Amino acid sequence: MIRFEKVTKNYPGPGKPALDQVTVDIDKGEFVYLVGQSGSGKSTALRLVLRELRPTSGRVYVAGKEINRMAGWKVPRLRRQVGTVFQDFRLLPNKTVTENVAFALQVIGKSRREINKVVPETLEVVGLKDKATRMPDELSGGEQQRVAIARAFVNRPMILIADEPTGNLDPQTSVGIMNLLEEINQRGTTVVMATHDHGLVDQFRKRVVELDHGRVVRDEAAGSYGFQH
Amino acid sequence: MQLRYVFTELRSGLRRNLSMHLAVVLTLFVSLTLAGCGLLLQRQADKTAETLGNELQILVNLCVADDPSESPNCSAGEVTKPQLQEIERALNDSPEVDSFEFQTKEEGYEKAKEIYSPEVFEGSDPVITVDDWPAQYWVTLKDPKEADGVISAVSGLDGVSGIKDQREALSQIFGIMTALKYGSWVGAGFLLFAALLLVANTIRLAAMARRREIGIMRLVGASTLYIALPFLLEALVTAAIGVGLTAGALAAFMHWGIGGLEGTIQFLPWIDWTDYVESLIGLVPPGIALIGPALTLIPTLLLTRKYIKV
Ligand SMILES: Nc1ncnc2c1ncn2[C@@H]1O[C@H](COP(=O)(O)OP(=O)(O)O)[C@@H](O)[C@H]1O
Ligand SMILES: [Mg+2]
Repeated sequence: MIRFEKVTKNYPGPGKPALDQVTVDIDKGEFVYLVGQSGSGKSTALRLVLRELRPTSGRVYVAGKEINRMAGWKVPRLRRQVGTVFQDFRLLPNKTVTENVAFALQVIGKSRREINKVVPETLEVVGLKDKATRMPDELSGGEQQRVAIARAFVNRPMILIADEPTGNLDPQTSVGIMNLLEEINQRGTTVVMATHDHGLVDQFRKRVVELDHGRVVRDEAAGSYGFQH
Repeated sequence: MQLRYVFTELRSGLRRNLSMHLAVVLTLFVSLTLAGCGLLLQRQADKTAETLGNELQILVNLCVADDPSESPNCSAGEVTKPQLQEIERALNDSPEVDSFEFQTKEEGYEKAKEIYSPEVFEGSDPVITVDDWPAQYWVTLKDPKEADGVISAVSGLDGVSGIKDQREALSQIFGIMTALKYGSWVGAGFLLFAALLLVANTIRLAAMARRREIGIMRLVGASTLYIALPFLLEALVTAAIGVGLTAGALAAFMHWGIGGLEGTIQFLPWIDWTDYVESLIGLVPPGIALIGPALTLIPTLLLTRKYIKV
């Protein structure tokens, strides 16, 4: 589903590469943690999957296509198949929960009928059915992240990318978010989650890919967060 | 494609940046009006040159009985046959003359009736009678700038009361038109540049205000065109309003400006509504209905590519 082949990414300017000869293969339906210290290259790796960035060398494949060679006008189509969640939620403050989720479908041209059907379904999945008309600032952090996950999942993407989704949340709320991501994963979506939350990684055992200074130093099925932290 | 979002955004975008859009519209309006005046003046100059410019003429006035000029050439009274032959010979001999035509005093009198107000021809003792009107030679020059030779050759001859040289008046008219034309174009140029900067700033502000939305749209896979559409429509709406106001201002100029001049300066062929329409929607040179949208759409296209790059 996602494959990195000797991917190196240098940002402009001096300094070591953010990613250095990274080779990783993630199958359909997997749940993968991307762990490592701050600055180890996790976000860079995720942005490469979205083609927000292009690798300096090497290849990135998503669903069998080498996306760094993809024509620019096809990029939106790629992103429709990849849902994205961030640490800071990125909701539109002047829209309700429903509107925030519906927005993702409106702007890719889905019909109103489909939107009216799918959005409530998705809010049910994330457990926010009764808060559909709330504004984001009336929600807790965990609830806001659920809205963001609903928005990422509403188009039923093949892949869900989460960049430190629990970074702003307390441990108990984080567990709730993890449960939700697991459920989405069980519905068939491949989930890649960058995190440095030891507790979660140790509690929900999944495949762990550890980066250190842009290099893969560990790739372990059902691994723990690691010892050095 | 669901365009509801696009139109909601268009409406809120226009409202959010109302003062900026107003500035764009007004600047566009004034600059396009100047440009439109320039286009109309160009057409006026072309039209004048077509009918008068190619036949730049000097007129040789011939003596009437009791000639008011009191020229010594007229001591013999009304011009005579032999005098006419003498004058024609001089015209024929002049290398500056391309051709000439004789206009009888009756013909001249009829033309005068079209220019002067009717009361001067009426009553028992009218101001102008047939016998007051001089017969004339209409002399067409080979080169409109070369007339000294023929003027000196003819002006001293018996029967010639004077020379009427239209070239001066016409060159003045052309001079005024050219000055006004370039004046409008230079003014229009500066203001169009100002409009361009305002458009660029408006887009920058709008892109800032929508930064979050745009980020999400890119993330969930909205097409670039879809993201750019509200910006393009905003540009189109401001351009349309600017062009509309300009069309109105130029129509007023045609109606009152040209309409008024037509009444007072009759020897010029004035531009009409066909010329007005051409200055609005003409292709070569581009009319203001093209210039306006181009001015807002082109920077919008360039800048949205920069600000909302996928
Ligand atoms: N836009 C950028 N420009 C320059 N350097 C960057 C940029 N983004 C990240 N980096 C650098 O790349 C390295 C990896 O960053 P990142 O992928 O954000 O790591 P992580 O997400 O694991 O904290 C860091 O050294 C960081 O400073
Ligand atoms: Mg990061």
